[in-house]
Amino acid sequence: MIHSTFQLPTQFGDFGGAYAPETLMASLLELEAAWIESRADASFQAELQDLLTNYAGRATPLYHARRLSEELGLELWLKREDLLHTGAHKLNNSLGQALLAKRMGKTRILAETGAGQHGVATATACALLDLECIIYMGAVDAARQRPNLLRMELLGARVEVVEHGQQTLKDAINEALRAWVGDPQAHYLLGSALGPHPFPSIVAEYQEVIGKEARAQWQAARSGQPDAIIACVGGGSNAIGIFRGFVDLQDVQLIGVEAGGEGIASGKHAARFGGGRPGILHGCESYLLQDEHGQVLPTSSISAGLDYPAVGPEHAQLHCLQRANYVSCTDSEALAGFERLARTEGILPALESSHALGWLIAKCESLAGKRVILNLSGRGDKDLDTVKQLREAQA
Amino acid sequence: MYRAEGRAGVAPYVTAGDGGLETTREVLLALDRAGAACVELGVPFSDPIADGPILQAAAQRALESGTNLKGILEMVREVRSAGCEMPIALFSYANPLYSMGWENAAKDSKRAGIDGWLVPDMIPSQAQAMRAAAEGQGLACIFFVAPTSSDERIAAAAQASQGFLYAIGRVGVTGANTLLTEETLDFLQRLRKSCDLPIGVGFGLRSADQIAAVTEHAELAIVGSAFVQRLRDAYEVNPTPSHVAAEAATYLTELQKGLRP
Repeated sequence: MIHSTFQLPTQFGDFGGAYAPETLMASLLELEAAWIESRADASFQAELQDLLTNYAGRATPLYHARRLSEELGLELWLKREDLLHTGAHKLNNSLGQALLAKRMGKTRILAETGAGQHGVATATACALLDLECIIYMGAVDAARQRPNLLRMELLGARVEVVEHGQQTLKDAINEALRAWVGDPQAHYLLGSALGPHPFPSIVAEYQEVIGKEARAQWQAARSGQPDAIIACVGGGSNAIGIFRGFVDLQDVQLIGVEAGGEGIASGKHAARFGGGRPGILHGCESYLLQDEHGQVLPTSSISAGLDYPAVGPEHAQLHCLQRANYVSCTDSEALAGFERLARTEGILPALESSHALGWLIAKCESLAGKRVILNLSGRGDKDLDTVKQLREAQA
Repeated sequence: MYRAEGRAGVAPYVTAGDGGLETTREVLLALDRAGAACVELGVPFSDPIADGPILQAAAQRALESGTNLKGILEMVREVRSAGCEMPIALFSYANPLYSMGWENAAKDSKRAGIDGWLVPDMIPSQAQAMRAAAEGQGLACIFFVAPTSSDERIAAAAQASQGFLYAIGRVGVTGANTLLTEETLDFLQRLRKSCDLPIGVGFGLRSADQIAAVTEHAELAIVGSAFVQRLRDAYEVNPTPSHVAAEAATYLTELQKGLRP
């Protein structure tokens, strides 16, 4: 059955929607219909569950970081998405959407990547499910996340390096969307909870497993509720994944950490709630860093995965409802977070996740004695070159 | 929304501010004198997801030279004062208009002498606020249809549009006798059946032969990338506004040879 309009709500309050060229609408409608069918199909869900468990390695642990807890004067638990196959939470969504694409009879996958984690996860899912894979990556990101570029190629993906615009995640999404317009037989496997409907809903649902698991693990390990959930927010897929597990518990604080770059006042950052206002980019209405004329502003962050001028629409809604609190962490605070976790817990976090840690370390007094779950969304092996340069620059 | 209603016309697309707004002003005046059916005036945007490389590059040049929506509307007001009568449709991605506020954007557009809006990342079901603001000022909204659009979507886009309906698609240029692919022909015939509005066709048109083939099935032939490229080539030879404007008129006249007398 071909639908002419969307079947599900497309808005998150005043945000979200589908600001899409008509040339994409047939693909978006087809995707929504297939997704709705797949949710009701027990065999599809069982297949996804099997892959998540036996291939990707779910459930990921909820780990009590005792040494760092003691140093910070609070009780810190880490949701270890860094231990998922391919090293970040991105695989939850890539496996889900790749299976969905297969079900739709697609043979080719297009995807964007910033830090390279979504590109690697998608290339992995495509290798596993025998799908052709084309990844769009900005030239700046390709240079700073070189190990992931090589991983994607080894997994059989073709990486298209995007040489125009700011040459980061935003431009990779532009290029992937253009490619999809010209290739409606492909599936566009968007990696964050943004873009036109139905993407924000699909991605959030495939990432919800993080929050549901964490809640069950918490209940098994501890009594009562955690006091706060902390996650870094680029597009916001890892954050929305863990927030959804706790959003109904009004006493649990939800804290999203944006990239503060060189500080909000410097103008060199990617803090949409800190320095943006509502706007429309990449098919959805949300908070956006833009100039007075509605042109999208360049962003700056040491973390390629957070270096994006807009944010997923569900976060914009949570912000307006004051259900979640969005804060920011500078480059140097994030580096401090990286180093501290490495030394105290023997874990190298991704620079994205290091923003959540960096904020917590800087603001630990405000959470003194509280019980905190931090989503450690990815591992830091990909960031060693960047960290080395930062340390040298600071020395 | 376009001149020469009742017969077919050619509508050039011009990126505002490519070569500077002075150039665009002269180009608009020249196109008016040369009898353009209407013009699509492109507002440059930082992230034009529906555009190919030629229009992307033009938008980037225009932004680098400091072009913004306020300046564009001021320039339109000037060409109106100078006597330009052809309809002008503002072709803008949603955010520059949204960022001004739909109401303000509609008021300022109307005051400057804009006749309608074409917003490539807007579909009718998302456009309530935009349409209310535009209708309040008597601005036309023109929506898009593609070969992949269902009949229901075509009907909805036609119902929401005023002036004409914008058909996007592809033209296969495989030889003198097959200027339109079977798919394109089917699409245009399907549009004709399900909508009473005039049809504007924009897909990679660049020659009088193509204009002739397209205008057998549509009222308006829209020439985008080829027009922008032609003006850019002229600018590179001689960047004075009068030279670029003369080239715009020459190319339009060349394309209009494809129109039946």
